[in-house]
Amino acid sequence: MASSSGSLPRYIAIRVLLVIPLVWVLLSVVFLLLRVAPGDPVSAAGGDRLDAETLQLRREAAGLDRPLFVQYLEYLGNVARFDFGSTFRTGTPILHIVRDLGGATLTLTVGAFLIALLIGIPLGRLAGRYRDTPLDVGIRLYGVVSYAAPLFWVGILLVVLVNKVATGWPTNGIVDPFILATSDDYTRTHILLIDTLLAGDTTAFVDVLQHHALPCLTLGFLLSGVIVRLVRINVIQALQGDYVEAARARGIGEGQVVRRHAFRNALVPVITVVGLQVALTLSGAVLTESTFGWPGIGSALLKYINERDYIAVQGIVTFFAVVVVLTSLIVDVINALVDPRVRY
Amino acid sequence: MNRQTRLFSVLGTGVLLTALSACGGDDGGSAGNANPDNPNAPADAGTSQPWILGTTDPIVSIDPAGAYDIGSWNLQYSVYEQLLAIPAGGDTPEADAAESCEYDDPQTVTCILRADNTFSNGNPLTSSDVKFTFERNIAIADPNGASSLLGSLMDPDSETPVMAADAIETPDDTTVVFHLNKPDLTFTKVLSTAATSIVDEDTFPADALMASDQVIGSGPYALSQYKVEQQAVLEANPEYTGARSGKANQVIVKLYKEPSSLRADIGTSQVDVAWRTLSPVDLADLASTDGLSVLNGEGSEFRYWVWNTATPTGKQLAVRQAAAYVYDRTEITEDVYDGTTSPAYSMVPPGFAGQKESFKEVYGDAPDVDAATKLLADAGIKTPVALNLGFPPDKYGDSSVSETNTFAAQLNASGLFDVTVIDDPYEEYKENYRKGAYDLYMLGWYPDFLDADNYLSPFIRDGGFFANGYSDKEVNSLLDAELGETDEAARSEQFGQLQDLVARDVPVLPSWNGKNVAVSTAPMTGVEETLDPTYIFRIWDIAKQ
Repeated sequence: MASSSGSLPRYIAIRVLLVIPLVWVLLSVVFLLLRVAPGDPVSAAGGDRLDAETLQLRREAAGLDRPLFVQYLEYLGNVARFDFGSTFRTGTPILHIVRDLGGATLTLTVGAFLIALLIGIPLGRLAGRYRDTPLDVGIRLYGVVSYAAPLFWVGILLVVLVNKVATGWPTNGIVDPFILATSDDYTRTHILLIDTLLAGDTTAFVDVLQHHALPCLTLGFLLSGVIVRLVRINVIQALQGDYVEAARARGIGEGQVVRRHAFRNALVPVITVVGLQVALTLSGAVLTESTFGWPGIGSALLKYINERDYIAVQGIVTFFAVVVVLTSLIVDVINALVDPRVRY
Repeated sequence: MNRQTRLFSVLGTGVLLTALSACGGDDGGSAGNANPDNPNAPADAGTSQPWILGTTDPIVSIDPAGAYDIGSWNLQYSVYEQLLAIPAGGDTPEADAAESCEYDDPQTVTCILRADNTFSNGNPLTSSDVKFTFERNIAIADPNGASSLLGSLMDPDSETPVMAADAIETPDDTTVVFHLNKPDLTFTKVLSTAATSIVDEDTFPADALMASDQVIGSGPYALSQYKVEQQAVLEANPEYTGARSGKANQVIVKLYKEPSSLRADIGTSQVDVAWRTLSPVDLADLASTDGLSVLNGEGSEFRYWVWNTATPTGKQLAVRQAAAYVYDRTEITEDVYDGTTSPAYSMVPPGFAGQKESFKEVYGDAPDVDAATKLLADAGIKTPVALNLGFPPDKYGDSSVSETNTFAAQLNASGLFDVTVIDDPYEEYKENYRKGAYDLYMLGWYPDFLDADNYLSPFIRDGGFFANGYSDKEVNSLLDAELGETDEAARSEQFGQLQDLVARDVPVLPSWNGKNVAVSTAPMTGVEETLDPTYIFRIWDIAKQ
């Protein structure tokens, strides 16, 4: 008889409800950290040229002199009504920032993930199959280096390299400036890659695609290290399974054993863990966007941190948090569907 | 053909097509003057190819009431007219939206507008728009704005920033009379700054900033697109009737966050001109790149070491003077900045009326440790003197780290000082120096306008922006006098006296003057001419052949 506590709808409902306290904790931490950091939006905006008295007047006008708890409650109340506020300097609604810049971050991260999978899975499989050989050592070294190398350093090196061997290949921004100058029509999805395609503008589409190459490769390089190590260890474990031994005993060649039996089974836990790399990808995206002048949410976040724009930073971090939490929720649900044991 | 071969074939074809398509493209061409009826336009208006300017200067706002920074101001100079303008290489304001602006007396300025002035939306530009512009800027008093430059128009009795009721008079559509609240001979220079860019009273809100992508001006270019932190696109303004008609009908200002990215793009000619702020190392590298020219113009950027005259160490005059004897500016400008800056021995940059190298006269242009030792011994000060040296590594570029360490090493090497270097993030730093956390700290300055007063009043009148506790009645009195002095020779004399007083009291150690540097690709003309101490990048004067 099936236990009601193990039902899939109940499991999903609990996981969805857990999103609320998770986001609340994150919001609270970000709220406090920003207030503890030196400076505030007023001093960041005009602190160089305004005297202390004027600065204080402006803080009062902006409501920054009110008790912290009052500001905190007000902010939580607004978020509960899905009002994430507006930026301090320009009054741009935070949701507009997410809408306008989210597409660039999305295509960057998806592209990076694809590159990471294209590099990581074959290398991990090879390393697992040829365990403890020089090939395995080389691939493991790649895994460590790609994960440990500073992202901006890799990015700058790639730019220098590309400028030497493929002069003219774009290394900054998301599209050629002259194409961008006519891009105000590309707002159907706010994802430039898709909008140029929908508009049938192949020149613009190819140009946007070219601009994706270096940033995606850089971020994909970082992620591939994680995937290489995950795939390798799971292939090694799978190769030690009884069913693999049975396959070998049936006289199946080692190549087929790896491809048809070990590798496919090894991929199941890899997919789960890879899904949880979204947080790493988003943090990597912040650095990648900064390095390549990529007009995404990550570079906007850095800008607003420098401006001490509390509302903008809180809004963007909340967006990141929701993406990470929802992704892990989806992964958990998929995992529960695949493996019913996790519901208990 | 197996599955893998097919996959590689498809991928290979894709890459090939991508590469081939990259070779094509047409960035447009010249089409002649956007307003053929403009009698004031130069003959070569609209004859240039479109071109791209790359810069790392951020843009805070394109609304003139919302910005006080080089990046924003330079776009504003292209999009708007001011009453007056500084021509390339000059320092005297000339006609722009106004045919003339003349002092009737040191407190009254009368401007006569050009009669055919029109905003890019077709609205006429009248004296009423000018009055609205100043009133609005003062009323908004945006934290990022430059309303503080309009102090001579403000009501001195009001607690909130408001323009004095009788400050601006508009007897007819083309006449504007400014009544200043004090004698101010810098005011016509203020009228040439972007802070006074004229806005359309029918378009701009009176009490709030206009969104940057919506702004309307009467300048040589209209803003056709603005994407935050990406680029601004300028198209020739077909309504423009002034003398600054652009050589190119389209110019893109591409915005970079990192100098390394700008360096990469100018290195491969993906932008036509790179202006600010490439490092000395990058500039040296680019100078040897085929097809590129590194152009050096006169600059007026300033870097200072400011003494807090209230700390136990900083309040001792002999200590401040001893450091002035020990400081080797040449080592900083040559070794750290690779000759892209010049040693500064005055608060005022070279070439300005009244500039005088008072520090060189008093302390020499080479370190004199013996003189410093004697000075401290005579004052009975025990050495080494403990000294906190503050600087913000995230504010003034990578070279500022080396600059600080070099200066600290000079002081320590003299045996007279025991320096502790403190680096704080700028947001923390600017609070700290005001609170007196450092004895000596780094600050920088770009001019608002080309007048020696702009390098003195903001800093030495009761500490000013330096917030260093320095105050001297004689200095304040001289500053008041020079602002109202109509005799140029007498005014220069007063500036000289002020610089002598600063060298005597040493509330600050002038460190270096920066040059105005750009990197240009071969087809560009007019770049070198615009590199002058105003830091106005005259986009309209530049052409791509």
